[in-house]
Amino acid sequence: MANPLLSRAADVGGALLGRLQDLRLPGVGTASAKDDPARAARRWRVVTVLLPADRVDPGDLPAPLAALGDRIEVRVTPAPADKGTEVAARYRTAPSEEDIGRLRAALRASKQLLETGEVLRMDPRPHGERAQTPAGRLLDGVVANAKKEGVL
Amino acid sequence: MKAVTWAGVNRLSVEDVPEPQILNDHDVILKVRRTTTCGSDLHLLSGYVPFMRAGDVIGHEFMGEVVEVGKGVREREVGDRVVVASFVSCGTCWYCRNEMFSLCDNSNPNPGITEGLWGQSVGGCIGYSHALGGYAGSHAEYVRVPYADVGSFVVPDGVSDDRALFASDAASTAFTGVDLGGVQAGDTVAVWGAGGVGQMAARLSAIVGAERVVVIDRLPERLEQARTYAGAQTIDYTTTDVAAELRELTGGRGPDVCIEAVGMEAHSPGPQGVYDQVKQQLRLQTDRPAAVREAVMACRKGGSVFTLGVFASMVDKFPLGALMNKGLTLRGAQVHGPRYIPRLLELMERDELVTEHLATHVMPLSEAPRGYELFKEKQDGCVRAVFTP
Repeated sequence: MANPLLSRAADVGGALLGRLQDLRLPGVGTASAKDDPARAARRWRVVTVLLPADRVDPGDLPAPLAALGDRIEVRVTPAPADKGTEVAARYRTAPSEEDIGRLRAALRASKQLLETGEVLRMDPRPHGERAQTPAGRLLDGVVANAKKEGVL
Repeated sequence: MKAVTWAGVNRLSVEDVPEPQILNDHDVILKVRRTTTCGSDLHLLSGYVPFMRAGDVIGHEFMGEVVEVGKGVREREVGDRVVVASFVSCGTCWYCRNEMFSLCDNSNPNPGITEGLWGQSVGGCIGYSHALGGYAGSHAEYVRVPYADVGSFVVPDGVSDDRALFASDAASTAFTGVDLGGVQAGDTVAVWGAGGVGQMAARLSAIVGAERVVVIDRLPERLEQARTYAGAQTIDYTTTDVAAELRELTGGRGPDVCIEAVGMEAHSPGPQGVYDQVKQQLRLQTDRPAAVREAVMACRKGGSVFTLGVFASMVDKFPLGALMNKGLTLRGAQVHGPRYIPRLLELMERDELVTEHLATHVMPLSEAPRGYELFKEKQDGCVRAVFTP
């Protein structure tokens, strides 16, 4: 039978990175904590890929972004100097936190696909006994959400 | 296979774990021949990097033989004897193309963690916590090496396993500091820390032309190695005032370049040490920066201070006024391995750079917990424990 304390720890870990977005502490990276929630949700999320702009077709987006379909609008512009091409995306309507997390992950995966041709896979990976402690489950939750959180 | 796993704060275990698999086309699987302790592992072991999960395989400085190759690998083949960069680099993002390999955009699959800590994500590192990707480490019989064409390098026939091993991280980290710290011919370079990285920084400073190199530590056996193998002068900071000694050695100017190779668990005598220990234990600062403070204060006006030791987050009582008013350049970096490993292997092949003396304790993987104990407590003259899986 699942230990409710451990399940709760994983949930808390999963929420922890998201809550960091709301803090204003020195040295803690925040996506847009000073914005009001509506403005934060409408911000363009942007990655820069090291490809010329004519190699990034907004009509033929990598699968992770394409999967979000008409819910998002995408803007592709050349980056200054030799930095490549900026790929920006945002939802057309007010998104949930989960939506924004999905967009972050899609942008990151799309950048990898465009630059390296693959999305890095991590599992299965070798590991020893995973002791089911609250701290361990907390970290499991953090890691499970790490692609969907951050300053992007 | 056997592997060394983190089992909790200050607890290591040797366990049977599944073997790694090719997961991406650019992967190779390596049969590990040598893998070594690194001072930065101690931060994981001690719990100062709180992103370790019980069961994680540790180890990031290693070399071995390629035994399996992904279908997208072009430069490596089964049977190659290679040394591997500890940080994982895709080779195609802007940072990799500009030789800042440890800043790779694509190699850390957990970017949300480090973006929260540092405002940007950096590259992943093999065997170095879930903050840096959660890769299984090299203290194992086999290890997966992603982007193998970028991060693995064939070892020349004339370079032994024992020598090549330290190109993986210690020497390449040191070269990062010497190069980006701006060491030039005729410079006086001071290096804080006489561990593997510090000794390599001292030797490489001499190789690129530094006229005088001074190494600072408290452990006599390490200072002796710095004198013998790097040709450095040495200062024991427990018995000598470091800043006064450096002033006297440099005509009152101070060193041109100061390289800090100590990191977040710096020891320091007197009230400063007590202050840092208390604040770190109370989690009011994450790191103990005594060596960086001393380097900033000792450095000549207009000089360069480079932090090679690993720091996690926040420090207290940092002499920003000295930095600004003396016109110093402060830089830091994790290791840009692929930028330096080819040249290091050339230096090793010509016997200009020797590293075998760092491996003071060589033992089978099954004895790794004892090796880490010797390494952590600096017992029996341990500079590095090397494991032979």
